[in-house]
Amino acid sequence: MSLFDTLSVSASGMSAQRYRTELLAQNIANSETTRTPEGGPYRRQDAVFETSEVLQPFGNVFAQALNPTTPGVKVSEVLLDAKDPIKRYLPGHPDADKDGYVAFPNFSPVEEMVDLMAASRTFNANVTAAGTVKDMISRSIDLLRS
Amino acid sequence: MDVKLGSQMEQYMNLLAARQKLVASNIANAETPGYHAKDIDFQFEFQSLAATYGPEAKPHVIEAPGLKERNDGNNVSMDREMRLLSENALRFQFVSQLMKNQFQQYRRAIQSPR
Repeated sequence: MSLFDTLSVSASGMSAQRYRTELLAQNIANSETTRTPEGGPYRRQDAVFETSEVLQPFGNVFAQALNPTTPGVKVSEVLLDAKDPIKRYLPGHPDADKDGYVAFPNFSPVEEMVDLMAASRTFNANVTAAGTVKDMISRSIDLLRS
Repeated sequence: MDVKLGSQMEQYMNLLAARQKLVASNIANAETPGYHAKDIDFQFEFQSLAATYGPEAKPHVIEAPGLKERNDGNNVSMDREMRLLSENALRFQFVSQLMKNQFQQYRRAIQSPR
């Protein structure tokens, strides 16, 4: 039934937004991190979304191939921020260079909070869609119960 | 109360389910760069389906017209999708109630001799 596929579409949107929220929380948590395994300060990460098919079982994929598709969404890549780190003069810091400057992540709290809010709103929109579809499904099941 | 009405209600519900799927897809892709909102021409599809006795709705998916594209090439309007979401749900509710009543009438007709 097509309505159940709709639930997976909404679920794909929810998981994509949740992943983005995780990245944003990671950015905020690492706003002062000067050491990373790759060397240098932490760089901001952001998710890039891409449309994708939500269905895995063969029957569904087959049906989808016959029928024009309705895509879900997935995170296609995680972008590393290319902005230069901010230098702060902290001569006592263990990561200071020879002039006494420490490279800190180029962190903008406003940017993170705005993105976080957008992610949360979009997540909620997907939840609403899933709830509405669930209501439609239960109404169809109700037909059997008259 | 005839078979044709029943099949038309079924097609209407199938079409609503298909449209709801597109709406959910548009909402899921509200922040996908380059994504364009999809829709079906509901009136047209329903009329062409009602004319034929198709087993299942296979509507033509079109791009929703008249939406403004943002800088990232995405043109999903959340307000529009939310309106369609509740509109489809209400229409579905309406038709399923109608169908339920029809079943009840059948049942009453079957049970009447008792």
